[in-house]
Amino acid sequence: MSALLRRIAWHWRYDEKRELWIGWWTLVVFYNLYGLLFFVVARTQPPPKPSLEPSEIVQWFDDRHYGLLFGYAIVFIVGGATAIMNATLAYTMRRMSVSRAFAYSYLVIYALATLPGMLIMGVACTVGAMRPDRDPELMSWLYDFAFLSFEGTMGVFLIGSLVWMVAVLLDRNRVFPKWFGYLNLCNALTEVVVAPAWIFKRGAFAWDGAIAWWINMAVFVTYTAVFLTLLRRMILREDFGSGPLPDLPR
Amino acid sequence: MTNAANTQPRPRFVPGQPDMWAFVLFEALVFTAYFVVYVVRRTQSPELFLESQAHLDLRVGVFHTLVLLASSWSVARCVQAARERSFRTALTNAFLTLLLGFVFLVSKVLEWAAKIEEGFGFTSDEFFSFYYFLTAIHFLHLLIGFGVLAICVHQLWSPARRSQETIETCATYWHTIDFLWVLIFALLYVMR
Amino acid sequence: MNAGFEKRLSVVLLALSAITLSQLGVGSLEGHAALRPNATITSSAIVIALIKVRIILREFMEVRHAPVLLCRLTDSWVVLAGVGLLGSYFVGMAIARG
Repeated sequence: MSALLRRIAWHWRYDEKRELWIGWWTLVVFYNLYGLLFFVVARTQPPPKPSLEPSEIVQWFDDRHYGLLFGYAIVFIVGGATAIMNATLAYTMRRMSVSRAFAYSYLVIYALATLPGMLIMGVACTVGAMRPDRDPELMSWLYDFAFLSFEGTMGVFLIGSLVWMVAVLLDRNRVFPKWFGYLNLCNALTEVVVAPAWIFKRGAFAWDGAIAWWINMAVFVTYTAVFLTLLRRMILREDFGSGPLPDLPR
Repeated sequence: MTNAANTQPRPRFVPGQPDMWAFVLFEALVFTAYFVVYVVRRTQSPELFLESQAHLDLRVGVFHTLVLLASSWSVARCVQAARERSFRTALTNAFLTLLLGFVFLVSKVLEWAAKIEEGFGFTSDEFFSFYYFLTAIHFLHLLIGFGVLAICVHQLWSPARRSQETIETCATYWHTIDFLWVLIFALLYVMR
Repeated sequence: MNAGFEKRLSVVLLALSAITLSQLGVGSLEGHAALRPNATITSSAIVIALIKVRIILREFMEVRHAPVLLCRLTDSWVVLAGVGLLGSYFVGMAIARG
């Protein structure tokens, strides 16, 4: 344990890439924490059915009363970490040979994305959980508001993925492999697929549907795991120059 | 016609960027997942699906398939022509591919319009939800395909460019539109 | 253009088109008035589609000339799709009946 602490202390003082590593570890910890909080603590994911009756919705909030309040309280506290995460990803675009506009657009888009991607649902769910004796129709409203804002507003992520895709494909510094650019396109397209969630209350295209949620989530998880791995390789290869990144020694 | 190049076995090569192949395989997997969901949902309400499917015209589906098959043929010819440095032939084939893609686009939109006119929309019933979903997501890939073909034409146009790898990469993407449609055709129009 | 290759591509297109046209027969085979699912038509539709897909992969997309890994990957996907689609059809039908 002390060996580990010594290593961390050494890196803190001497590693010129320490900010990048702080960024990377923030991403890894945050995504894991996010998964834990949404799936296990608050249990808002996988999402419940859109077709529930108001009385069932009240029951849903009731079953998750403490999970929602504590889970999202933690989400709100650590939510600021997304700033570090987005900055780290934007950094990769700064390292590319493409215009800095890509990095800046990505930053703006993903800064906005924290609202539908995390905060609005958190607020709606905690509002619902705070007064369990609220009118069931109001609880129903909060329920729809939470899940539609979370599942249905994929436009932000779609454009963000496309920005990253174009940057990767145009980049001559080989920061990321071209196939990652194409994977961004896959991610973007699956976001489009979520759009019907606004229309359907049951079936494969509802917000909890096989297509709108399950397959979409499978693609998103794959995409996230991939970019975390590629980001780590990028940081290892980083030479703080402005030309092509060297490969990792074999 | 025989020449020395024909008698020697060609060394194995990956057409275009291997990266594009990774994309093709991944998209194929995602579409397969969509298809499986469709088939499963279909087996749970076979009569409904059959009754709605009857409103689709198999001949239109066949026409669409033939058009895309021909477009795959023309883009393959384009790649081969570029390989042999017959760039004018390659360009002609690239434009032919664009034209065939456009024929598909118009025909598809007309088919959608006809169905909507008959009263079958996205939310009419489960079959039509899948019909519009699968054809629309395919259509989106087609639209991207036009952009990809434009890149191909751009490459072929000027002697300063003409990267064989880029041309082959574009062709690989275009073929995906074709083979995905072949599967969609079988699932939406043919299967009972 | 290399005449051999050009001819091959055209033959492939003709074959694929012929297979597609033959599927027109399904329209007249079983009237929709019957409104009953037909496993034979469905399985053959899926299998024929995958055969067409494999031909497109190997001939138009030149997987024939590709390194073995790519051949294996594309074939694996074709098999996976076949198993997935046919499997979900038959299992789904069994569940619906039972």
